[in-house]
Amino acid sequence: MNKEEQLRIINNAINQTKQNLKPLGYNLVFWSIVVISMSLFHYFFPQIVQFSYYSAAIYWISIPLLGMIYTTNYNIKNGIKVGYETQLDRVIKIIWGVFGFAWIFIVAISLIYKVSPVQDVLFLLSIVLIMTGLIIKFNNVTIGGIGLLIFTAYSYYNPVMNLLLVNVVGLSLGMLVPGLSLYFQKNNE
Amino acid sequence: MNKETEKLLFNPIRLKAISFLISVEKCNFKTLIDITDSTKGNLSIQLKKLNEAGLIDIKKYFHNSYPRTDYSITKKGKKSFEEFFKELKLLK
Repeated sequence: MNKEEQLRIINNAINQTKQNLKPLGYNLVFWSIVVISMSLFHYFFPQIVQFSYYSAAIYWISIPLLGMIYTTNYNIKNGIKVGYETQLDRVIKIIWGVFGFAWIFIVAISLIYKVSPVQDVLFLLSIVLIMTGLIIKFNNVTIGGIGLLIFTAYSYYNPVMNLLLVNVVGLSLGMLVPGLSLYFQKNNE
Repeated sequence: MNKETEKLLFNPIRLKAISFLISVEKCNFKTLIDITDSTKGNLSIQLKKLNEAGLIDIKKYFHNSYPRTDYSITKKGKKSFEEFFKELKLLK
């Protein structure tokens, strides 16, 4: 095997790595649909969700926790199916893992102090979306994150806004639309 | 770079495997079979040699009762590959 052949082997092997962003798009779409549905259900049926203080807390903790178990399982299965993990996959996994822990922390603090966690979670989510968009170089996700950040900042100055509707509008524009465009983009490898 | 590593990477299957592993964080056995166009038995022997030389890590575990094996490049493996690649480019 001569030097040219060795270089060709190295080049071919490295070029076989493909970055598939479809699973990330699926995760964004899944979470936005879950949270939007939960917010709408809470908005239209407050008597069911809020029949006691703890019922609302259980509603907003148990369903997202089930969602976390489902998406973790989906991501593990998908990782096995793809067969390899790139450095970019690892970075995205860490960022969203940190978001998951931060979400638990924010929800726990808000339960202790009896305040709504919506704006804090949306603020954190917008930052994570901007970071993700910049890392994967996908403008729709970055723009969605910036839009969500502006919308969240605006909601801080308008205390009359219903936070459940803030959730619905913010996540639709900031997460669902960019997630769908990431999921359905033709050339994402 | 030492002669032993150079000799180790002279084998095309080992070179393909380590070249792919340098571009990913980790990968499974099935992917490496596809990448190296090798048989299970042969690939297994070549990967064992890379592991014994400290160039790759092998992690065995169970997922849903199925045995899985992940391969990743070590720090020593990265350094050796970079030196090997640098020398290769200089000689070219």
